[in-house]
Amino acid sequence: MVSQKALQHAEKCRFCWMCRHLCPVQHQTGKELNTPRAKGLLLSMVSKKSAEFDRDMAQAMYECMLCDACVNDCCTGYQPPLFIREARTEAVVNELAPEAVMQLIENVETSGNIYGTVKPSFAREGTDVLVYIGEVAACKVSGMAKALLNILEKTGIRAKVLDNEPASGAMLADLMGYVEEVTQQASACADAINAAKLPTVVVLDSYDAEIMKQRYAEWGCEIKAEVVTATAYVAKLLEEGKLAPKSKKRGSGVCHDDDRLARSFYEFAPVRAMAKAAGFDLAEMFNRERLAKSCGSAVALGYMPEITIKVAGGRWQDMIRTDAKAMLVANPQAYLCLSQCVPAEKELVDLFTALDESL
Amino acid sequence: MQERSLMFHMIRSELEDAVGVENVSTKKNERAVYSVDYFWLSRKWQDAGEEGPMPDIVVRPGSTEEVSKVLKIANYYKIPVTTWGGGSGSQGGALPVAGGILLDIKRMDKLIDLNVEAGTVTCETGMIFSTLEDYVNEKGYSVMHLPSCMTCCTVGGALAHNGIGILSTKYGKMDDMCLSLEVVLPNGDIIDTLPVPKHSTGPNLLPFFIGSEGTLGIMTKAKFKIVKLPEVRTHHAFLFSDIHVGYEACREIVQAVKPSIMRLFDEAETVSIVKKVIGFEKKGSFLNLTLEGHKKIVAAEEEIVLEIAEKYGAQYLGHEYGEKWFENRITFFYPGHIMDLPQMFGTLDTVATHDNIEKIYRAMKSAIEDNFQENKVRFISHSSHWYDWGAMNYSRFIIDNPPKDPEEALRLHNRIWNAGVRATLANGGVLNDHHGIGLKLSRLMKEQYGPAMQVLQALKKELDPNGIMNPYKLGL
Ligand SMILES: Cc1cc2nc3c(=O)[nH]c(=O)nc-3n(C[C@H](O)[C@H](O)[C@H](O)COP(=O)(O)OP(=O)(O)OC[C@H]3O[C@@H](n4cnc5c(N)ncnc54)[C@H](O)[C@@H]3O)c2cc1C
Ligand code: SF4
Ligand code: SF4
Repeated sequence: MVSQKALQHAEKCRFCWMCRHLCPVQHQTGKELNTPRAKGLLLSMVSKKSAEFDRDMAQAMYECMLCDACVNDCCTGYQPPLFIREARTEAVVNELAPEAVMQLIENVETSGNIYGTVKPSFAREGTDVLVYIGEVAACKVSGMAKALLNILEKTGIRAKVLDNEPASGAMLADLMGYVEEVTQQASACADAINAAKLPTVVVLDSYDAEIMKQRYAEWGCEIKAEVVTATAYVAKLLEEGKLAPKSKKRGSGVCHDDDRLARSFYEFAPVRAMAKAAGFDLAEMFNRERLAKSCGSAVALGYMPEITIKVAGGRWQDMIRTDAKAMLVANPQAYLCLSQCVPAEKELVDLFTALDESL
Repeated sequence: MQERSLMFHMIRSELEDAVGVENVSTKKNERAVYSVDYFWLSRKWQDAGEEGPMPDIVVRPGSTEEVSKVLKIANYYKIPVTTWGGGSGSQGGALPVAGGILLDIKRMDKLIDLNVEAGTVTCETGMIFSTLEDYVNEKGYSVMHLPSCMTCCTVGGALAHNGIGILSTKYGKMDDMCLSLEVVLPNGDIIDTLPVPKHSTGPNLLPFFIGSEGTLGIMTKAKFKIVKLPEVRTHHAFLFSDIHVGYEACREIVQAVKPSIMRLFDEAETVSIVKKVIGFEKKGSFLNLTLEGHKKIVAAEEEIVLEIAEKYGAQYLGHEYGEKWFENRITFFYPGHIMDLPQMFGTLDTVATHDNIEKIYRAMKSAIEDNFQENKVRFISHSSHWYDWGAMNYSRFIIDNPPKDPEEALRLHNRIWNAGVRATLANGGVLNDHHGIGLKLSRLMKEQYGPAMQVLQALKKELDPNGIMNPYKLGL
């Protein structure tokens, strides 16, 4: 089963009730099974042989966004995503994972991305920075990718984008844990980025940035360039006066802090700086920054669309209570999930596009 | 219910018709997560690799009407129904010990109305309490129910045990905060209590349901009063030479002013848990106290509190430790910060009038320490909720090396509880202050109530003649 470390975390979480209020999946499904403690409890039962790790249990391990909200409000250091991810490995290895999950894994194997399609290319030559677009932006939210590249161009930055940009491993890691296939993807990705020999890699999708910055080194495939989130990079350009947005009033908006910016990078100010520069009057949702409620992930949307759309709907509810007009997003996965259920009279805004338009 | 029988599937499909196929489950792993709540014995059972009490079928209604349909079905077939909120109850109240239907209420988590002019908020009872508080805080208000389980208990669970939060000395407990309820009776009828909690229109219906632990019906909607977030909230700490002086001083304080928080710890808890969590190192009886509200009133209250504390020879510790306690108020409950398996532990919370509360503390301490010496039991206590007429004790026993065998552990556990609780009853206390009765104390209800128990039994018999609602709990 799972490693001793993961089991130790599961054993501690199984009798702890403290973080369920933050779990977006628990909120939207109302299932006890979808609380962090229940997942720990089930794994503990398996280790004690009072339950079997079967298809149903595997399914339960996939009803989680790996959003880290539980971990972040906990003073113990125990991490449900750690044991949930390892349980997914177990599920895949034992052919117990849900069919929809297996389909996405197969897509990655055949096409390199979860969509099973040829990833559109944004390849271009440049000598200042490398931009890593990522598969969700490339395949599903291309406007965001184009806008980022436009912004850089307008600033006079010559950005390179790789031809055949390799997957970072972030998607596969959510599907099957930190297994060898993921480290192989990571290694290939790091090699391609290192081969570009540019000092900075600007990463559009914070999920990719997270795995590059926080996992690659321990797998021995460190990226030599400085890895910067696209939001932080653009905010710095704004701060340095290299971007001069025209003053244009766009009404009130709230920034959604995506899971990785919020809890892997604790990066909150850049998105807000971008929103202000794009002409939005900022309001705030109550659950924000580190405690921002997840709106789902692209992987989850792929294998459990119904639950993920409900989760995105939950985030819209938070926004509706603020009276703001627009939900402002700077992550392609968040954009994709939230775009599934935009409420009437509300607007979903991709901040890169909004900023590009105001330049 | 025999899972493979024709009738089982007939009933299952009826339930699916009532709440939707996706909201009914008989999967083993889904049922298994309801076999452990916060009750120590259920945890011990699981830890020992034993199978805990499981329902036959999990049903997750999404509205009052669906709850009503489920209860009509259950009542017709005489199937036990156990309501589960967050499962954070420490008394085993939500454990489906009789099998049957487990009704998980958490899909019912809608905010129905937030009316700041009226000073009220209404929600469905499956809402996690902290979510309700977030909604109200967004508007600058609070329900002022801040229990340590705030992030995990549901509104319904808090009502079902008549729970209490850390600010209770000023704002009261659940039955002081709840204005009205919608309840589904065991026969499926949907009723409302009267629109206000205070009246002379016959006996009040609210207290029948608040504290009834899912034995008389299912609470589906609740209206609470809300108050403005305080202008100031100031924390203080004091050290008394011993708990006796502390009790005296606190009684005088609470009879003069209304602190929101007033927590008096005995020396054993001062030098253990208080030290561990907020780093306070001295011996004696630690008190943290918080005043809040309008600045001018708080300033006057502060003066009075300091005067009384001085009169009782308390050492004033300033703001630091009170603030630290407030910041860490829930840290106490995370794994590694509080008791955990393999330790055996329990919270014997009780409430009594001021003339009895210290007697109870001493009687319970000696009943436990003297009778279970060979188990190397430890006893710690604090008093955290105060009234002008009395106070509660939150007393705990801890055994570091209990029997490994779960059955042996169960017997020792129950012997300790019997001893502690009987010492309370003999000195004018009650079985429980705010955690409820559940399965844990069910057997002792008749001892507590005596012939008065027939009032509760009559109520139960009339409302739930088939005895389907949460069997074996609350002594009913
Ligand atoms: C870490 C921690 C700290 C705690 N601190 C406190 C505290 O400060 N104050 C306090 O009062 N308690 C505290 N408790 C105890 C516990 O959280 C409370 O008893 C809480 O009210 C239980 O709520 P729940 O939703 O988890 O209920 P559950 O445990 O699910 O159920 C409790 C009982 O309520 C019944 N019930 C649930 N919902 C309904 C409903 N809608 N209608 C009818 N019956 C229903 C159940 O059948 C059961 O009998 C703490 C528990 C934990 C784990
Ligand atoms: S992550 Fe922390 S709060 Fe959540 S269940 Fe585990 S120990 Fe408890
Ligand atoms: S990672 Fe997110 S979705 Fe998963 S258990 Fe934790 S809070 Fe829930």
